[in-house]
Amino acid sequence: MDKALLIQLGGSITAVALLVAFAAWLGVARATPPLDAVSAKALLELEFPDHKPDAVWIAADGAALIAREGALALVVYRRGDGYVARDLPWRTIAGLKPTNGRLTLRLSDARPVFAVNDDAWPPKELA
Amino acid sequence: MLKAAFDPVQMAIPFFVLAIILEILLGRFGKAKANYETRDTAMSLSMGFGSTVAGLLFGSVIFATTVWTWTHRIFTIPMTAIWAWVTLFLLEDLTYYWFHRLAHERRVWWASHVNHHTSTHYNLSTALRQTWTGGVAGTWLLWLPLTFLGFPPAMVAIQKGVSLVYQFWIHTEAIKRMPRWFEAVFNTPSHHRVHHARNARYLDANYAGILIIWDKMFGTFIPEVDEEPCRYGTVKNLGNFNILHNVFHEWIGIAKDVAASPRHALGYIFGPPGWSHDGSRDTSHTLKAKWRARMEAGAGEGAPPQ
Repeated sequence: MDKALLIQLGGSITAVALLVAFAAWLGVARATPPLDAVSAKALLELEFPDHKPDAVWIAADGAALIAREGALALVVYRRGDGYVARDLPWRTIAGLKPTNGRLTLRLSDARPVFAVNDDAWPPKELA
Repeated sequence: MLKAAFDPVQMAIPFFVLAIILEILLGRFGKAKANYETRDTAMSLSMGFGSTVAGLLFGSVIFATTVWTWTHRIFTIPMTAIWAWVTLFLLEDLTYYWFHRLAHERRVWWASHVNHHTSTHYNLSTALRQTWTGGVAGTWLLWLPLTFLGFPPAMVAIQKGVSLVYQFWIHTEAIKRMPRWFEAVFNTPSHHRVHHARNARYLDANYAGILIIWDKMFGTFIPEVDEEPCRYGTVKNLGNFNILHNVFHEWIGIAKDVAASPRHALGYIFGPPGWSHDGSRDTSHTLKAKWRARMEAGAGEGAPPQ
C-alpha cells in the first residue's frame, strides 16, 4: 500500500472521528420524551394504522411498549431518538421472565431491555 | 481516455465536511431543521469511509471490465466536444434513474442499496451512507453500455462523480423548497425527502439522480405534501447501530430465505423486497394498496395521489 493512500485513509478516519465528535457535541437529536398513554396511542395510530390492539402496555421508563392483538404482539422500543417495531407471537412475550425490574427480549437483531414495575409478568393490562 | 484526470467526489470532500458542520450549527441554533443523532451520524460517516475502501478493493475488477468494453466500442466519442458532454449528462442520468429504480424494486440490488436508507434521519451525513457491496451486486454493469457506445471511461467516471456530488446537497431538511422552475426540472431536497420516506404514500418514488424529469416520464414521481411529513428509514427499521449488520443484513436475509425455500430462490433473489412465496410479507405494492384502502375508507391520512 503506498504512502499517499495510507495518508488519505488515515486522514479520512480522523475526519470521520472529528465530525462524529462535533455532531455529539452540537448536534440536536429529535425529542423522544417517555411514552405515556396519549403519546403511545398517537405513535401506534401514526406508524401502525393496520394494527388494532386490544391492549397496550407501556414500559416503566416510557421507552417501549407492547401492543397485544389477540395472538400477536407488536413490540416497539426506542433506538437512538426513534423507535423500532417488531411483530412477535404473544406466547413468546408471555413466556418471558423479568428479573430485577428488567425484561430482556431476544430479537434476531437486538436485545432490547424493558423496564417493568415489578417482576410479575405478563402485566395485567395484557394478560 | 481510460483514467479520469480528476475525481469530482474527492475534490468535493472538503465541501462535504464544511456543509455538514454548517448544517449541524444551523440545527443547533434553530436556524434550520436539522437533527443529528450521534450513533446514526457515526454509522453514516463510517459507511461513507468504508464504501471508499470497498471501492478500492473491487475497483480493479470494474476497471478491467470497463477497459475490455472500451476496446470493443462502437464509436470513439471525443472528450473535448461539448455535444458529447451534454449527451453523456443526459444518458448517464437516465442510466442512474434505472439503476436506482432496479436497486429499489429487485431484492438482490436492494440488498446492496438498502444501507443508504436505514438512517431514520435525513441530513447531509445520510448522503455519505454509501454501499459497501455495490461491486458484488454488479449494478455498475449498467454503465458499461455508455462505454460500449464510445464514451471514454474517464468521461463516464467524471460524470458519475458529478452526479454523486450533486446528490449530496439534496439530503437535507434545511431547505424546504427550491424555486418552482428548479423543482420542475431538477432533483431537489423536497423530491429526495420523498424518496427516503417510509410513509406508504411515498414508497418507491423519485429515483432521479440530477434530473427529476425521468420520474415524471416513467410515472414514479410523487410530490412532497405538507399535510404528510416524511418519516425516514426503512419499513422495518434496523434494531441496532451495528455497522456490519447494516451492510449485510439484507444479504443474510436473502440467504436464509433461499436456504429455507430453495424452490422459490428466484423470487427471493429477484423479486421485489418483501416478496414471499406464501404472500405472508408486505411489499411496497401491498403497503400502498393497504394505504389506499385506508384512504378510501376515510381513515384521514390524506387523499391518495392521482
